[in-house]
This record gives sequence, C-alpha cells and structure tokens, in this order.
Amino acid sequence: MITDKLLQILPEKVRTRIEPYAEALELMSEVRDPKVAASLGPSSVRGLLLQRGKQGVPTKIPARHEAYFDWTYPSDHAEMLELYRRAKQNQWDGDTWLDWSTHVDPENPEVAIIPDNFLNFEKLEGYMGVRMTPRERAKVRSDVCAWQLSQFLHGEQGALFAAAQVTEAVQFFDGKLYGATQVVDEARHVEVFHRYLDTKLQKLYQINDNLFVIIDALMSDSRWDMKFLGMQIMVEGLALGAFGTLYRLTEEPLLKELLKNVIRDEARHVHYGVLALREHFQNHISERERREREDWSFEVALLMRNRFLAYEIYEERFEGLITRAQWRDVVSTSPGLEEFRHVMFSRLVPNLREIGLLSDRIKPHYDRVGLSKYFGGRSADQISAEDMISELDQKRAETPAGLRAANA
Amino acid sequence: MQSFRGARPQAIDAVDVATKVASLILPARATRVVDQARRDLRVVRGVIGGERPAPVREQAMRAANLDEIDVVSILPRRLAARVSQGLRDLDVLVGALQGRRPPPTVKRPASRRNTLPPPPAKVATRPLRVARVVRETPDAVSIYLEETSGALLTFEAGQFLSFDGQVKGRTYRRAYSLASAALEGHAPHVTVKRVDGGVVSNHLVDHAREGDVLHALGPSGVFTLKPSEGPRRLLLLAGGSGITPIISLAETTLTHEPDAHVVLLFGNRRFEDVIFHARLDAMKGRFGERLVVDHVLEAPPREWSGAVGRLDTATVSARLGALGVEPKDREVYVCGPTPMMDAAHEALLALGVPKARIHEERFTSPEQRKAASAPTEPQPVLVALGGVRTETVQRPGQTLLEAGLAAGLPMPFSCAMGGCAACKVRLVEGDVVADEPNCLTDDERAEGYVLACCTRATTPCTVEVP
Repeated sequence: MITDKLLQILPEKVRTRIEPYAEALELMSEVRDPKVAASLGPSSVRGLLLQRGKQGVPTKIPARHEAYFDWTYPSDHAEMLELYRRAKQNQWDGDTWLDWSTHVDPENPEVAIIPDNFLNFEKLEGYMGVRMTPRERAKVRSDVCAWQLSQFLHGEQGALFAAAQVTEAVQFFDGKLYGATQVVDEARHVEVFHRYLDTKLQKLYQINDNLFVIIDALMSDSRWDMKFLGMQIMVEGLALGAFGTLYRLTEEPLLKELLKNVIRDEARHVHYGVLALREHFQNHISERERREREDWSFEVALLMRNRFLAYEIYEERFEGLITRAQWRDVVSTSPGLEEFRHVMFSRLVPNLREIGLLSDRIKPHYDRVGLSKYFGGRSADQISAEDMISELDQKRAETPAGLRAANA
Repeated sequence: MQSFRGARPQAIDAVDVATKVASLILPARATRVVDQARRDLRVVRGVIGGERPAPVREQAMRAANLDEIDVVSILPRRLAARVSQGLRDLDVLVGALQGRRPPPTVKRPASRRNTLPPPPAKVATRPLRVARVVRETPDAVSIYLEETSGALLTFEAGQFLSFDGQVKGRTYRRAYSLASAALEGHAPHVTVKRVDGGVVSNHLVDHAREGDVLHALGPSGVFTLKPSEGPRRLLLLAGGSGITPIISLAETTLTHEPDAHVVLLFGNRRFEDVIFHARLDAMKGRFGERLVVDHVLEAPPREWSGAVGRLDTATVSARLGALGVEPKDREVYVCGPTPMMDAAHEALLALGVPKARIHEERFTSPEQRKAASAPTEPQPVLVALGGVRTETVQRPGQTLLEAGLAAGLPMPFSCAMGGCAACKVRLVEGDVVADEPNCLTDDERAEGYVLACCTRATTPCTVEVP
C-alpha cells in the first residue's frame, strides 16, 4: 500500500505517531459509497481520530430515534410472539447457572484458555528475532483472551442500549415484548463477561476504536432499521462468530459454559433481526433505500473482517519491538482469526440473503472478497440455538489436534 | 468537619477564571504575581462591600487556589459540556503528536457487584392476612385469607398451603387444604379442626382473629383435577376434616363442567362434627342429580335416617353398592384419617379400581413422622442443576433442599414439608435418610427420587434436579 511505503521513509519516532491516523484515513478511503461514507464518517472521526471511547470519562452519544406507541396492543407477529415465549422460558441466572468457584489460571498450559497457535507465534518471533519462552507465550495468550472478552463486554454494552432503543422504535407490538427480553439478556451478558474479566482474568482492555465506530454509528443513527441492521444482524453476527470461535477453542470450563449460555441467547437475537427486517425491507422501503442498506452492510462486514487487530495488545507489549504493519500481519494470519472469520461469515451472509440484502448487484463484491461460499448457508430463522451449539461441538471434535493442543 | 483544613474557597468569578487562563500562558514567576494580585483584589473588594472576617474559623472564606479553579464551571451547563469535550478531544490530538496514547487497559477498583455474596437463600414464607374467621362447627373454623401484596391468592382445587405456626416460641410447619372452590368470586379459605394434641390446629381454632398475619408457603400439591376426556365422573371419599380439599374439588368441577357427575362419601363420628353440612345441602340444591352426597355417621342422633358406621373396608363397599355406584368408571379422590384412607384404598382395589385412578392426600405433621436420625456430620453434596454441577455442604440440621438453597442454587420447592413433591431430586450417588411417610409414589421411589425438603445426606451425595 502507498501509505505503507510513505511511512517506511519516515523516521521511526514520527512513524509510530502518524501510523494510527494513516490507517484511519485509509479505512475511510476504502468506503466507496458516498452515502455510506456520510453515515460512517462522523463516527469514524469520533472513534479513530478523537478516540472518544478512550478519553477516560463516560461517553455521551445523543440518540434521535422516535419511540413508537400503539394504544391498541395488536397481536401482529406470530413468530415474534413465539420468540418472546421462548425467551421467557429460557432465562438463566448468571449468579447460579455458572460455577464461579472455578479456579481460572489463564496461564496454565494444562487448561488452555485459548490454544497456543490461536496467534501466529512463529511469525511474531520471526519479526522480533527472539524466541519466546512458554511462560511468555502463555502471558500473551492470556492477554489475547482478555482483549477479546473486553471487546465482547464493550459490544454487549452497546447491544444493551441498542436493544432498548430498538424496543422503543420497532412497529410490531409482539416485537416490543420480545425486545424487552433481549434487553434483559444483554444486561446478563454484560454481568457475566464483566464478572469473568473482573474476578478471573483481572484485566479490562479499552474499547477498540473500530468497535467504537460501529457502536457510535448505530446509536446516533435516527433510522430504526439501520440500528436494527447494525445491531441485530451485523454486531450480533460478529458476536456469534467470536463467541463461537472461543467456545470451540477454549479448554477452560467456566468460560465454555458461559459462552454456551450466551450463544443460546444470541441465536434468538439474530432470529428476531431477520424476522423484523425481512418484512420491512420487502414492503416498506424504496429500492434506492434498500441499495443503500445493502452497500452499508457490505462495508461494515469488511470493517469487521479487517479491523479487529488487537492493536491494544500491540501497544501494551510489542510497540518498539515490531512495527504496526508486522503486527497486523501476525494477527491477520493467525489461525484463531481465520476461524473467527469463517464462523462469523457463515452466520452473517445467509442472514443478509434472508432479509434481502444480497441481490445479484452486490454478489460480485462479496465474491471478490472470497465470501461467495457462504451464499447458500442456513439463516437464523432456520437454525435453532441447539443446532448451533451442536454444530460447534461437532466442529470442535473435527478440529485438528494442532489447533487445540495446549502447547506447541 | 474540615476544621483543620481552614477556610473554604469562595465561589469562582470572572477574575478567577481570567487568572487561571493567564496562568496557563504566563511563565511561573508572572503567574505568582498575577495570582497574588487576584487575592488582594478579593480582600479589597470584600472590605469595600462591608465583609467582616468570620468569627468562627470553620466559616471563614478564602479565594480559591489556582488548582481549584475550573474554567468550564462558570459556563452555562450545555456549553460547559461542549467545551470540556472539545478540550479532551484536543488533548487526544496533541497527545498523539507528542507520542502519547491512552493506556490500553482500564484501571479500576474491583467491582463490588462481582464480589457481593448472594443473598442468604432459605425456605422463605410470605405473609397472608386473615380477612375473617367463620366458625363452622364447635371444633372447626374457616380462616379466610388474602395476600398482603394485594395480589389475588390463586390455587388449583385440591391444593394446600403450609403455614409456619409460632406456638409458645417454637415454629411448627403444618399443611391445610384450601376448602373454597377455585373459582372467581369465592373467597379463599382453609378450614381447621381441633385435634387431640394438635399444637397448631388447636391454636388456630382458639386464637385466629381477623387481621392476623400467617406465614405461608404454597399453594402446593398434586391432589388436583387431571385432564379428562369426556364428561368427568368423580368419586370422592372424605373422613372428618379431610372434606376440605374434597369439597373444593366437587364445587369447582360441578360449576365449571355442566356435564360432570360427582359422588361423595363423607364419614364423621357425630352429626355435630359434620363440617360444611349447610354448604353441601346448598350444593345439592344447586347441582341437583349431578351431585350425590352420602353421609355416614358412627354415632348418629336418634332421628338419623342415613347410613351408620365407620368408613372401613366393608362400609365403603356396602355404601357404594347401596348407591349403585360403579367405582371402576370413576376418578377417585380420598382424604381423611390414615385408618380410613387405608381401608378405602383396600376396598377400591378389591372393586377393581386401577391404582393410577386413586388419588390420595395424606397429611402428617413432621413431628409424627418416623424420626429419621439426623446426621451429625457435615456432608458434601453435589447438585446437578441446569447443566451445572455445584458442590455444597449439608450442615448438621439442614436438609438437601436447605443446603442447596444456602449455596444460592434455585432448587424448586413448594410446601417444604414432604407433601407436594415439587422438590423431588434424583439421588445419583450416596446414602440418605428421609422423613416418612411423604408423598413420593412407589414409581418415583423406584426411579431413585427423594424429596429434597425432608431428606438428609448421611454420606457424600450427588443429586440431580429434574
């Protein structure tokens, strides 16, 4: 990339200061659709440039959506009603359903919290020019896990508020009742992830700038269906990908059980997103508006694929030892991230198809970035939470021992 | 009191803010001069304005120190928020150019939310208010109840409440069936009869008053109507105060189901012991041929024309024969003293009624049970619930249920006295002792179930909540 070459010329001290901004500019230049750029632009400035999520004070994001009241309480969506019923029956208590007395040692290679080759250590050591001891590797793995769970936690906070906003704004009354259960679900996810980080890993990373951009864009968009698309389809899809990967790969029993319960809830959430948006996109918006959403979700999908690169860990541990570009290479080629991309897109792409955002017009773009193999998968309304878990369990059994091995 | 920190800072004004801004630009020496001038100005202004030094040190005021002056604070609130956001943004941008970044992790004290112990869990009752007390016979009263929360007290016909009764400083837990029909507009009540040595019953008969509060669990129990294909045909056998759940079943069924038919055999010692005599007569008037009531008295008055005897095996068979009732075709509910229930059971089996169609409600007070010798050592208990296995310790005196609840596990229970099976768990491993009799069926026992509320581990145990 041109920016990379330009940066190479600069003295290292200057380069490390400018690199993050160069990346932000590059990201914005990648977005081709002007409408999408306009919708993501201000959020990108706040997130990438001004780092509003990391300023050390609570962030205030104004919301401008409309609350939609219906004083006739119609029974207007049988499938959502069914989801509501299921959600009520499947509530669980984070205090008692999880065994918090489990002793967690994230650096214990016998019970690997993530497998050793989750990260591409060979490449990392190659760039650094030194071999890491097993203990150093274990520390890095523990940090990668804490970083991931921290981002889950921040994402769940976004989901908690977005779910509340969507509950206000959605026009189906059955959807509002269901939405209230999702608010409770998200609160529970915040509770359990925070508790795990606070009491077991004793570490909390700041919110990733790219995640902040997405959350900021959703919270400040006044169109309810954009919130919905962003949260219920994109972010929940991302969450399912990330949770699914970690569920498959971790050996730590408490984390595994925690993720299993969370995945069950998330499966309902995505299902709800598909139900509400399918009808809305088919019957209530113009073709021009549909196209805008189609482009928007493509851009956000790429954002999510390429941008969660754990720079926070780089800055904490490896800055000065290797360059940002080298770190990016290490993370991008890590088996754990490949796995995450696979699980995420196998859930996300079929859902986009199901809600009508995968027309022949956009398909070549997905094909270009190698995602066409997911076109035919099962969408959230066709797959139950139990299917999802057992699919992951099955894959786990098939995973080559290498990826699960505790230590290389 | 901040007495030794001396005087408190005065409210900030424009001169303070101007000085603060100047201090950010000026070198340190000039800043000191400007700051001293500001303080002097304050004093002079105070003197001209007629201020006198405060007589008490704590009330004294002074000019704010430079580090106490928040420039943004004199701005209107909304503008202040924007300005401080702008300053933070600027700080990030300037910081980045200087090679300064926000720290990658967040430092914060451990969250209290995550370290709080769960609230102490135990078998907790809720208060019910006595709305009125009605004397049914010289030895029996009906106690009408309502929820103190204002919610409706709802139940299924045939269910019971358990009460924790305080008598002479001791707590006794006793079950009383709801005698009212489970229908809207029928005030819920239990009916209590005096019995020999009945600590709680006798206390209630003598002392229950309107406005009292009783501590209750439930409603509980499965002595209730089962789904029925076609018109429901019931045979009800009651002895003495065993009439309470039986009359509720009868009235509820007959009111709800216009084609239901009910036969009631009701045994008592003397005529004046018959509870609900008038209510049964009124029901006969209301439901006509759909309700047959056969009173059987052991010691009838001289003018009695009804059946005479005690509800033993022979009498039950004879009365059913005399009434022309074929018990095989009916769902049977039996409630009364233990000898009467055993006799009825035997007679019904002899008449060809399948065991599964005989429903029985037996009440014993915990103290009358075969005392299971309570373990005196703590025992580890592993509870499997919802896919999670939690290890807890059953302390001497605790039941399996109490040990589980104390560990914060949401183990189900209702009556907490062995009468409803809501708390049944499967014993996977280990030895236990249980208070007997309790309401577990033979099939449940064969499958390894025990009632957590009246069972104690005597060795390390593993149980599974179904």
